[in-house]
Amino acid sequence: MSLVQIRNISLLSLKPQFSISRLLHTSSACQKSQSGRYRITAKRDFPLTYEMANPPHQIAHRKTWNSWNTSNLEGGLRSSETAIEDMFIRKFVTGTWHALFVSEIIIKRQHNIIRVAGIIRRSIGARKIYFLIGYTEELLSFWLQCPVKLELQTVADRSDVIFKYI
Amino acid sequence: MMNISKTLLRRGLPQANITSNILLSTATIDDKIEIPKRIPRGPTDILRALESTVGRDPTAAHYKYHDDPYLIPLSSSGKRIFAMAQEAGRKAAHWVRQEHADLFQHREADPVIEAFVPPMVYTEESEVAVADLEKLIEMRQVVDSAVVYRVLKEKNVEVAQELEQGLLELLCYQNCEDGVSEEFVEERWFRQASKGKEFVKKTWKDGDLAEQIFTKMTPKTPESYCAIIQGMSKYRQMDRAVQLFEEAQKSNIPLNTNTYNSLIQSVNMIKENFDMRWSLLADFLTQMKNSNLKPNLGTLNAILYALSFMGNPKRAKEYVLQTLAEFKNLGIEPSLGSWYYVILTFCKERGPVSTILHDIINHLEDKEHQIRDLKDTHFFVTAMEMARHHLNDVALARRIDKLLNYGDNYNLIGDSYKESVYFRHYFALLCDNLPLEEFMNDVYFKLVPHIYVPEVGIMAEVLNQVDVNGAVEYIPKLWSDLIVFDQSHRENLVDCILNTMVNNEQLVTPELTESFAKIAWDIYSRSINEEEGRVHRLNLTGDLLGKILILLVRQKDFEKACKVMDRLDKNQQTIAGVPKIEALALFVDLCIEEKVPSRGIDCIQYCTDCGFPEANSLAVRLHKELNLDEVFLERLTKVVGDVFSTS
Repeated sequence: MSLVQIRNISLLSLKPQFSISRLLHTSSACQKSQSGRYRITAKRDFPLTYEMANPPHQIAHRKTWNSWNTSNLEGGLRSSETAIEDMFIRKFVTGTWHALFVSEIIIKRQHNIIRVAGIIRRSIGARKIYFLIGYTEELLSFWLQCPVKLELQTVADRSDVIFKYI
Repeated sequence: MMNISKTLLRRGLPQANITSNILLSTATIDDKIEIPKRIPRGPTDILRALESTVGRDPTAAHYKYHDDPYLIPLSSSGKRIFAMAQEAGRKAAHWVRQEHADLFQHREADPVIEAFVPPMVYTEESEVAVADLEKLIEMRQVVDSAVVYRVLKEKNVEVAQELEQGLLELLCYQNCEDGVSEEFVEERWFRQASKGKEFVKKTWKDGDLAEQIFTKMTPKTPESYCAIIQGMSKYRQMDRAVQLFEEAQKSNIPLNTNTYNSLIQSVNMIKENFDMRWSLLADFLTQMKNSNLKPNLGTLNAILYALSFMGNPKRAKEYVLQTLAEFKNLGIEPSLGSWYYVILTFCKERGPVSTILHDIINHLEDKEHQIRDLKDTHFFVTAMEMARHHLNDVALARRIDKLLNYGDNYNLIGDSYKESVYFRHYFALLCDNLPLEEFMNDVYFKLVPHIYVPEVGIMAEVLNQVDVNGAVEYIPKLWSDLIVFDQSHRENLVDCILNTMVNNEQLVTPELTESFAKIAWDIYSRSINEEEGRVHRLNLTGDLLGKILILLVRQKDFEKACKVMDRLDKNQQTIAGVPKIEALALFVDLCIEEKVPSRGIDCIQYCTDCGFPEANSLAVRLHKELNLDEVFLERLTKVVGDVFSTS
């Protein structure tokens, strides 16, 4: 044991427990990036869509963004409000369309209109889907105070968007 | 110029000659450069120009429907349901905003966009000012402005004369109630307008706010008289309207042209027979003349409307022509509504055939028309109806259609009911008159299903034409269309299609035989499968089952044919009628081919039960072809009796 280590241990054991001391990191760092990555399951039956299967470092390589706006460019306005609005739109749409969306919700802003796109399942009748389209577009336009257009694609069932099982 | 002359002097004389020639020649060409006036362009003009190059795409559904195969409507009920469901969703969103208006108070846009702000709710206790009343009248909010006015009156706030007049006019025009908001486009589009063109019931609200304002108004201005008389005429409160009119005449109050127009329109409600009505109309016109009022398009349309159902067709036609000539001299161009009334007057169902429609279309062709009167939207429907029923003229119908599709004229089709009736007449006329292949390729495949979905009657006509022409190759497509349009349970259509398939045996190819058998089996399975909640179910008669049997037998599908035969046999009590003997004979032949004599014997048993005399010959043939053994022969003898003694 080196002198420094002995000193550290003695400091720790002899000093009362309620003192705070700053210590240096003395072991190797373990800050693996773990965002947007899915752990392999034992049974290997966890379904992943293409978007889920590609981790975030593949953005701009094999996948693109979910939110398109000019708020983060030079001279772009309202970047924080835009981000909050996007979160609101995603929560609202996912909640209104109960368990119907099978993809991420893509939000594109062009001039003053907001285009919300996604893939939905055909579990409810077309008439109900039209009701939800009318309701969502109108309510979001009241909330965001600009025209909102929904661009949906229907898919027969969930397995059509599954890319691989992990 | 100075530089040129210097170089010329340096170079010598010959160039000078050329230059002087050039100068002379430029002097003789008098080219005044005319700079054309700048055309002011709006912000969307380029988009409009681009849009004018794109017509309606018949292969796609209307752009109001979501572009996804699951969400594209293919039947007429589907189109209506989807559009109205979307609008219902929008109304639900409006309701949510109304309920929780306090949550929607944020303003994101600068300047504030009024459309996205929750609307003000006016109740008895609201703090209102005269400016609020002004704004509401401008926005045409009838109920709200009535509430605000009452509140103001209670608080004894002074309301200006012009404002009160404006409010009176609004209330008279709308009969003290709000119409369907302009935001709800689909509801207006699918609203089935009241069918009765003549005497609409009296709907004027007696004693409501409009009359109250009028009676309390002192002094009564001419404008207020005009407003109240027009309102009462519009909503058919004729007694009071005439009474007020006479009051105004007695007190020498000058009325305006539009008031006289509304009274002329109601002439048929005031008087009973042609002479009295016409004399009253003439009276009104003379009074207009005496008051030095100039007639306008409304006058022309009012006179023509009154004449169109005044009675006495011959004299009415005379007067119509005279009126048109008079107004032409005045320089007032008739609108499409005027032509609508002219068609109504001339092309009566039980009257002589009139070719006035040709002249009208000549006059209107290749021009863009604007809406100038509420009745303009009736023109195209009625014109097409007359082209079909009254004149039966395909070329004329084509010209009407071309006029409809010229420029923006399609906006004048009115609403969905008129559109469907227009296409119904167009379709039926072309179906009856065009050769079938041309009809199918140019009309049917183009218009159906996105622009027009044929009704049951029209489909029946198309199927008839196909039958008459023996064009069996269209049958599979027509059957799938019947399923999509939800018409596959209609007995007359199924009958027609089965007839066509059965009668044209010599024209079918093997693929067609196969598809016919499939269609027959489909018809059969649809009739026996009772789906949950299905109101319509086709009950197949014996004859139809026989036809299905023939088609299955031609395809040599023994299994399915047996199923049909079983159904015929077992449900003799519930099935109406019996199949034709040819069907049963063919089935017996198939049994012979498949070498299943028991089935053949069952069929012959059925034949005898039905009382067919041919049962005996069938039995003989069965025995001859299959050389039946003792058991079968005994059974057969029991059924038909002893006919085998000669064989």
